[in-house]
Amino acid sequence: MIARRDLAVRVAARTDLSPTCFRVILETVDEVAAVPGQFGMLTCGVGFDPLLRRALSIAGVVRREGVTCVEMMVKEIGRGTTLLRHASVGSRLRLLAPLGNGFTLTAVEGTRLGLIVGGIGLPPVLFAAEQLAARKVGFDLYVGAASGAELLEVERCGKAAAAVGGELVLTTDDGSAGEHGFVTDALQRRLDGGCAYGRLLACGPNPMLAALTRLARDRALAAELSLEEPMACGVGVCLGCVVELEDGRYVASCKEGPVFSVDRLAERWWP
Amino acid sequence: MNVRLDTTVGSLKLTNPVLAASGTFGYGLDLLEFCPPESLGGVVTKGLSPRPRRGNPTPRIVETAAGMINAIGLQNIGVEAFCREALPQLRVRGAVVVVNVFGERMEEYLEVIDRCEAEDGLAGYELNVSCPNVTAGGMEFGHDPVPLERLTAICRAATRRPLWVKLSPNAPDLVATARAAVAGGADALTLINTVRAMAIDADTRRPILANGFGGLSGPAVKPIALRMVWEVHKAVPAVPLVGIGGIETGRDVVEFVLAGASAVQVGTAIFRDPAAPLRIVAELETFCDDHKVARVAELTGGLQWR
Repeated sequence: MIARRDLAVRVAARTDLSPTCFRVILETVDEVAAVPGQFGMLTCGVGFDPLLRRALSIAGVVRREGVTCVEMMVKEIGRGTTLLRHASVGSRLRLLAPLGNGFTLTAVEGTRLGLIVGGIGLPPVLFAAEQLAARKVGFDLYVGAASGAELLEVERCGKAAAAVGGELVLTTDDGSAGEHGFVTDALQRRLDGGCAYGRLLACGPNPMLAALTRLARDRALAAELSLEEPMACGVGVCLGCVVELEDGRYVASCKEGPVFSVDRLAERWWP
Repeated sequence: MNVRLDTTVGSLKLTNPVLAASGTFGYGLDLLEFCPPESLGGVVTKGLSPRPRRGNPTPRIVETAAGMINAIGLQNIGVEAFCREALPQLRVRGAVVVVNVFGERMEEYLEVIDRCEAEDGLAGYELNVSCPNVTAGGMEFGHDPVPLERLTAICRAATRRPLWVKLSPNAPDLVATARAAVAGGADALTLINTVRAMAIDADTRRPILANGFGGLSGPAVKPIALRMVWEVHKAVPAVPLVGIGGIETGRDVVEFVLAGASAVQVGTAIFRDPAAPLRIVAELETFCDDHKVARVAELTGGLQWR
């Protein structure tokens, strides 16, 4: 297991990615051995409001000349993320990381992998895509968003997929860019057309993950989902972020997840 | 100046007055690299029932202003698994372990205590009679002095170890429940448990928590907890109190001690910072250095009322 630590980090850069989403680069002198799917708990300021850290998926880690840069992508949805959006470069924060498990990144003989993203579910999947590209493991990348303006990092996604001869499929709910409709519909059309994937890796809003679970179960496809649940501690002691498994148990998604294989999940995931 | 942090809660000796609170520190072994249990005054386990409990459906937690509301529903591995899997390691480490005991009926509290009585290396018990998030047990004992005294007496008869009762801030008459627990034979009182609360989603017009309501914790409840510790201390000055509610700093500890606490528990702060209890111990030591306090225990009940 990779050691989790409470890192002193500095906001090194902050960039808007869309009208609602932004990127934060966090610098630390410590090494951060994170794998795609893992996350960190980031403070969003000083004081007691907001009280808790924010659970954020890691989008990438680069170490250069004794400094580690951890990349996070964040959607502004409330007070904590608004504070982060306005954190000035140079701000000192704390990052408890890396936490949780990661996606299975091994190749599946004779097929490609299918990577599926909805909205701000991009960071762990993009992290996976770039690592798969570096390892020459083939994949297609499906990225969906509400609108064209909310499609994040399109160029980078295209580059990662192209590196292994894969396709980048873009979809928007409003049809303003890419294919009109849900990302899971685009996946289904290609599966119907004979596309075969040895494993699906996905992150996105719960309705998208539920649709994907149904699709994967109907077709007996292996699939791993990175889930998001309200989380207080990130280290398995608050039991707030539990996910219900098929055997009826509630397990902490911060420790046994956030990545779960669809065949372990309880029925509410394939209604 | 050599500050002495050691203190006692009744007959129980602690190397410092800071314990990790039930439900915020797992079974004592979950955060070893941030906060080794033996470095604290003690650890209170997640509430243990005779058999494992699944807990409530989700969402179970919601953040509020300077606080959070939880409705976990006492999900736990059960007393047997605790005794077999966690306790031996805690014993080796030399941690002071207080078992938080929960049951839906009086017999279930006894079942947990009886199982623990077969084990060495436990410092005492804390009866959970104040969980706002379960339908049976918990509050029905914690809110009514008559069944509370009976439950405490029955548990008292089952053990010679220190017996604490964790009081509910939601009881109609806090002091009456405090007196009832003492009459039943409690060695000390822990206060307060979470404050019954709710959060509403204005868009969906529904409660945010699946359970509808839950228990509020964090800095938001600290003033309520301080007031309650002081009231109970005045009512039963000879009874040791363990203060809990929104403690985030060493100064917070001093405030609780002045109000009448002999020791304190740190809970929600651990969710913000897994090393919080250790940091708080260090801050307490600094406070004592700065204020020329020879022994923390001397501050207990030292509030100067105007």
